[in-house]
Amino acid sequence: MLSPERLALPDYEYLAQRHVLTYMEDAVCQLLENKEDINQYGIARFFTEYFNSVCQGTHVLFREFSFIQATPHNRASFLRAFWRCFRTVGKNGDLLTMKEYHCLLQLLCPDFPLELTQKAARIVLMDDAMDCLMSFSDFLFAFQIQFYYSEFLESVAAIYQDLLSGKNPNTVIVPTSSSGQHRQRPALGEASLLEGVEASLFYQRLENLWDRHKYSCPPPALVKEVLSNVQRLTFYGFLVALSRHHGINQALGALPDKGDLMHDPAMDEELERLLAQVPGLVNSVTANPEASYLSSRTPPRVASPWRPLHHTRKVDAESDGSTEETDESET
Amino acid sequence: MIPGKYRSVSGRAANNVNCGLHLVIQTSSLPEKSKVRLTKVEFRLNKETSSFPGRLLQHDLERNYSSRQGDHVNLVSSSMSSFPILQRSSEEKILYSDRLTLERQKLTVCPIIDGEEHLRLLNFQHNFITRIQNISNLQRLIFLDLYDNQIEEISGLSTLRSLRVLLLGKNRIRKISNLETLKSLDVLDLHGNQITKIENVNHLCDLRVLNLARNLLGHVDNLKGLDSLAELNLRHNQITFVRDVDNLPCLQRLFLSFNNISSFDSVSCLAESTSLSDISFDGNPIAQESWYKHTVLQNMTQLRQLDMKRVTEEERRMASVVAKKEEEKKRESHKQSLLKEKKRLTINNVARKWDLQQNRVVNTLTSQDGKDSDSPSQDTPQIEGSAVSTFTEETGSVDSGLTVTDTHLVEVDGDTLSLYGSGALESLDRNWSAQTAGMVTTVSFTFIEFDEIVQVLPKLKLKFPNSLHLKFKETNLVMLQQFNALAQLRRVDQLTIDPQGNPVVNFTLWKYYVLFRLSHFSMQKINGTEVTQNDMIMAERLFGILAHVASSELPPYRMISILGDARKKQFRYLLETKGKKPGIISEENNDSRRLTGENTNRATLNYTTREFYNEKLEEIKEKNKFCKMYIEDLVKEATEINMKNEALHKLWPQMFIELVRDAVIEIRNKNSYMKLCLQQITDQK
Repeated sequence: MLSPERLALPDYEYLAQRHVLTYMEDAVCQLLENKEDINQYGIARFFTEYFNSVCQGTHVLFREFSFIQATPHNRASFLRAFWRCFRTVGKNGDLLTMKEYHCLLQLLCPDFPLELTQKAARIVLMDDAMDCLMSFSDFLFAFQIQFYYSEFLESVAAIYQDLLSGKNPNTVIVPTSSSGQHRQRPALGEASLLEGVEASLFYQRLENLWDRHKYSCPPPALVKEVLSNVQRLTFYGFLVALSRHHGINQALGALPDKGDLMHDPAMDEELERLLAQVPGLVNSVTANPEASYLSSRTPPRVASPWRPLHHTRKVDAESDGSTEETDESET
Repeated sequence: MIPGKYRSVSGRAANNVNCGLHLVIQTSSLPEKSKVRLTKVEFRLNKETSSFPGRLLQHDLERNYSSRQGDHVNLVSSSMSSFPILQRSSEEKILYSDRLTLERQKLTVCPIIDGEEHLRLLNFQHNFITRIQNISNLQRLIFLDLYDNQIEEISGLSTLRSLRVLLLGKNRIRKISNLETLKSLDVLDLHGNQITKIENVNHLCDLRVLNLARNLLGHVDNLKGLDSLAELNLRHNQITFVRDVDNLPCLQRLFLSFNNISSFDSVSCLAESTSLSDISFDGNPIAQESWYKHTVLQNMTQLRQLDMKRVTEEERRMASVVAKKEEEKKRESHKQSLLKEKKRLTINNVARKWDLQQNRVVNTLTSQDGKDSDSPSQDTPQIEGSAVSTFTEETGSVDSGLTVTDTHLVEVDGDTLSLYGSGALESLDRNWSAQTAGMVTTVSFTFIEFDEIVQVLPKLKLKFPNSLHLKFKETNLVMLQQFNALAQLRRVDQLTIDPQGNPVVNFTLWKYYVLFRLSHFSMQKINGTEVTQNDMIMAERLFGILAHVASSELPPYRMISILGDARKKQFRYLLETKGKKPGIISEENNDSRRLTGENTNRATLNYTTREFYNEKLEEIKEKNKFCKMYIEDLVKEATEINMKNEALHKLWPQMFIELVRDAVIEIRNKNSYMKLCLQQITDQK
């Protein structure tokens, strides 16, 4: 408890690092907003619920953007919430436009700014046609990088521009390029071998940032890893590499790995339960025991979306029955 | 009367064969005679004449003689001229001094008639005469019959000033001419000729009967001056239109059967004629029309006979009734088309305003920014010409359904309530009759911002409880979230979102989201396509987890606050307009409670219009500021205490040691300590 690092920081800074004050302020704010209702069951309970939800990450649901952006934990919670709520959209295989993803984001946060979504889309599309369709996983990972590390990325962009326009006279000569001249302000994202900046140089400039953005930066080691794999890279190439890097994703801790992105058994179970309640669904009674039977099997069968649910279940039951029979008959 | 007898005589000379020449004429304009009867006729052939010029042959004459026709005449060929000369015996002359019949004499030319200056009646029927000649001397002639000859031109009549009846039927006459001197003409029969035009009859002010049947007339014109004309027979021509008939003050009978009249307009002058009592149109295309009889009877109320049938009172009444109905219908349709035009103009106005609002149209005329919704008068200079002035409601009840102004349009059309322009939303405040409001099942919004519509949805729910189908066009639906607002309605069966002006339709998932969010409505159709079970399943599959998260994972206090917000908003909208009707408010309470009971897991998915949301954010900012200050104070306190605590922790060992040391030093010398203590006690006293 009384560790020296802890005591080394002045009080206010310590609190700020853990964003304790943000949560305290927000808690009191929420209390103020709902004082009539909360009076009914007591303030202590309110605070319990509040901090519980902060721990679980559900405190960001339907909150205003300023709050969601306030702390890294909030951002991570928001990303996780977005993933959980709309994983089914991705699972369905739909490719959506940037605007539609933005709409989905707005369902969870009504005043989410469009620029962030646009920037995320640019990462996916490499700053190309902005009306293109994107897959859920591509968008989600790019969005994660953009949202979680937004300030960091802004600084990186500035550095990149500086490097490109050659403000630093030391970076003009590039030994690997065939034409020895340096180009004045080439447009970002052009597919050209001479495009971008040299990786090592880039990394050098980035090192300053870790001090500035103590709280939301990707771990430096991983960034170095990304940059060491290539000789030259463009800005969006860099971002794409960041978004696809498993290590960074894990360091963030909000989303599962890409491979597991569509996988959430707890929620799937919940979904099955909900689907069974859809009015008018035939054989809803018989479906229930089968549902529980199915859920015990892993992994759960992905039913095709275009056939009514009970069909596939019935098929499963039948096929299972037959194998059992043959097994028995064999013995 | 006259025409009847007359007609039978002129056209059917064959009937008279058996009775000799039985010419019966009863005419009042021939005062001298009441009856002219030519009975037995003898024909004596002058055997001295051997040959005549022309085609008159001996054996023909003999044959004629045997049929006992013609007058008792002597046809003498004159050696001087080429014309035969007619002579009668003196008894004949005395007996029938005023009439002469030369029917069927195979005459090819008019013979010279000598010494018959008293002749009043001359009959040349059924001959082959090609030219009217040699009768100029018969200046007392009143009746001239040249029916069934081969006359090609009217001529040679200029001296016959007393002529009253001129029968030139069944000839080859092409043109009416040379009648200038025949001012006393009473009957003119030119039927069965090749006349193409009515002309040169304008001076015949005594003419009472004009027969131009079976000619080649294309139209009727140029009838001025026939001030006595009572009967005009134009049957069997090719007449397409009739004019000038209203200039005939005495015309009673007009026969237009078997012509080419196809519309009543072409005979419109007949309506002006007050004297017409008998008319026939049969055989014309007009007679085939369904409205023929009624129109004729309506326009010619003085008619007594139509197509040779008496016009009954019943028919007349029917005709006027039908005509009135037609008039009504025409007026109605005229009104309708006016209304439609006004509607169209208004909708154009509203559309233009909407475009301006959406910054779609660059405004070059004025320097406005584009976002003007409060001053429609500024718009009117740009809108060309079509300034529809503000209309007060239509006469009668408020429910007549159409309000048209410059800026908005409200229309109730049976089961559809259509609102154009944001001003139209105010009309929901009106006192709609229960019947009208109950009939409305479809509500259509056009050129109105969706955010504004959201605010009046509670009103809509109240006033139009049966509205099951909502249509949105050009309402700026851009987010899926906006559909959350529709959940507060009682029930929606169908939803139509027109792609025009509603970008939300371009999203892949919009329909599923609607089905998911509004699942408690059990919607039947979206944009015209039926909602299938698969669609519902898909919607649930896509967004079910969202609902689950939105309900079970929200901390309870958030749940309450969000739901409370929604309810508060609804009350606010209601209270702003309706005032304090406690009954309604409690009903709302029940409704919303019921609503939350139905689908709790979705109830937290709400839509706040941008304005309200910004207001809320402002409030939140205020609260945040206050909280920040409050917490800062708390933090300051806490840090102070913490500092003090830490300082204490730091100093405490030292302090403790000092305390102990002090105490130990104090009691090192027991005796002196005891003395000190005793002294302290006594000092205290």
